[in-house]
Amino acid sequence: MARVVVLGAGVSGHTAALYLRKLLPDEHEVVVVNPKPTYNWIPSNIWVGVGRMAPEKVVFDLAPVYKKAGVTFVQAKAFALWPEGDEDDARPAVEVEHTSAARDGETEKLRYDYVINATGPKLNFGATPGLGPDGGHTVSVCTPDHASEASARLSALKDVLRTKKQTVVIGVGHGTCTCEGAAFEYTFNVEHELREAGVRDNADIVYLTNENELGDFGVGGMQFEQNGYRTTSQLWTESLFRERGVKAITGAAVTSIEPGVIHYDQLDGSHNDLEYDFAMLLPPFKGVDWKAYSSSGEDITGDMFAPSGFLKVDADYTAKPYEEWTAKDWPRTYQSPAYPNVFAVGIAFAPPHQISKPRKTPDGVPVAPSPPRTGMPSGTMGKVVAKSIADMITKGATEPTHSASMSEMAAACVASAGHGMRTGTAAAMTMSPVVPDWERYPETGRDLKATRGEIGLSGHWVKRMLHTLFIYKAKGRPGWTWIPE
Amino acid sequence: MDTTNARISNAPLPTREELRRRRNPFLQLFRFIGTSWTMWRLAQKHH
Repeated sequence: MARVVVLGAGVSGHTAALYLRKLLPDEHEVVVVNPKPTYNWIPSNIWVGVGRMAPEKVVFDLAPVYKKAGVTFVQAKAFALWPEGDEDDARPAVEVEHTSAARDGETEKLRYDYVINATGPKLNFGATPGLGPDGGHTVSVCTPDHASEASARLSALKDVLRTKKQTVVIGVGHGTCTCEGAAFEYTFNVEHELREAGVRDNADIVYLTNENELGDFGVGGMQFEQNGYRTTSQLWTESLFRERGVKAITGAAVTSIEPGVIHYDQLDGSHNDLEYDFAMLLPPFKGVDWKAYSSSGEDITGDMFAPSGFLKVDADYTAKPYEEWTAKDWPRTYQSPAYPNVFAVGIAFAPPHQISKPRKTPDGVPVAPSPPRTGMPSGTMGKVVAKSIADMITKGATEPTHSASMSEMAAACVASAGHGMRTGTAAAMTMSPVVPDWERYPETGRDLKATRGEIGLSGHWVKRMLHTLFIYKAKGRPGWTWIPE
Repeated sequence: MDTTNARISNAPLPTREELRRRRNPFLQLFRFIGTSWTMWRLAQKHH
C-alpha cells in the first residue's frame, strides 16, 4: 500500500487528488492537507468583489467531496517537510498543524510515499508597507472574504460618487506581482458597475501595473491575427482602455501606501505619488512559510526551495540573461531533482525565470512581472503529476511518465470586463504555448492558429459557463473527467 | 505613463456598429459556440 499526500486543495492540488483517487486502486491512500475547509473557485472572486456574485457561490466544503471520492481530508497547514524521514522513522514525512475547530493547534507527522506540494502562494502583503486589507489601506480580491470587503467598499464609493469626484486605482501593489489579468478584470468590472450605477462620470479610473506595456499580462504579451491583420495584445488592450475611458500607469513598482496616497517608482527613475479614494492592489506571491529538514534535523530548505519559497523542480535554474532564456528552461515533470518522490505543481513550483522581460529602476527596484501559473496550466500540471505517480505506484515506473511543460501547453484566459447576461463583456484569449518558444515559432514565439483574442458578450457567457463547469468538475460529479482542465 | 496614455488616446476606437455587434445576442451566440469549441479543442490537443 502506498500513501500519497497532496498539500493544498487549490486548482492543481485538488485536480491531482481527484485523478490520483481515480487512477489508484483502493488499497492505496490519497490524503489532502489543506488549511481551509473549503475549495475556492478563485477566477469568480472578481464578481464577488463587485457584488455580482455571493461569496458562497465561489466556495464549497471539501470534506463531503473527499468523503464521497474516498480521499482522506486533513484540515491542517504543513510547516515542515522531512523528505529523508527523521531519527524515529526512515519514512519521509510532512509535519502539519491542524486548523479545524476540533483539533486546532495539534501537530502530527504524516508519513508518505509520494508528496505533491500544491500549497499555492502566500499572499505577501507585507512586501509593500501599507498594502492590503489587513492593517493596510487597500482592498484585495484574492480570497472570498477580501472580495466581500472590496464589494462593500465599492458600494460605499458609489454613494460618494453621486455627489463628488473620486479617484479609483486598481492594479498590482509591487514590482514583482503576477496575476495582472485579475487586476485588469477588476478594473473593467468596476468601470462597468459604476457606469451601470450612473456614477461613471465622477470616477477617474487608473490601472496601475508593473507590466512594461498594456497587454503584457506577465506572459510577454501576444501577437495574433484578426480581421486580416497581425496585431498585438498591447494594441488590443489599449483599444479597450480608450473605449472605456480608463487611464493607465505602466512599468510601475509600488513602494509604499499611505491613506489616500500610493507611492511608486518607474523605470525612468521617477518617484511618484498617486492620490486615491478607492484602491484595489494585488499582492506579490511567495512560497508558504515552511521548512525542509534532513533526517538528522539539518535545515535543507535552501537546497530544496528557491529564495522565493517555491519548490525547485526539473527546470533549468542556471542564472542567465533574458536574451538566453529558452523554452527548454521550463520544467516538464515537476519532480524535485533532490527527492524523486517529491513534486510541486501550480504556483508552488519555482519557475526558472520570468516570461516577460524583467527590468529595474535606476535605484535597483525590480519591475518584473512574475509568470502566471494558475488556471488551465495549473490544473494540467496536477493531472500529469497524478498520472506519473499512479504509474510509479502501479506499474513500477522509475521516472515520471507524463509531462506538461508551460512551453508546450496552451492556455485559455477569459478576462471579464463586466458582468451581466445581456450587458456583460469579456476578453476571451487563447495562447499556445504559454511560454513563447522562439525556436519553434520564430516569428511570434507562439502558434498563430491557436493564439487568438476576442471581446464581446459571448466572452462573458463563456466565463459564466466555465464557473459552473469547473465547480461541477471540482465536486467530482458524474462525468467530471470529460471537462478538460 | 505619458507614453502609455498617449498610446491609449491613439488606439483604435471601436465604432458603434462594432460595439453593437459585440452585444448582439444572436451574433454572440455563434461566437459563444465558436469560442467554446476553440477552447475545448485546444484543451484536448495541447493537454
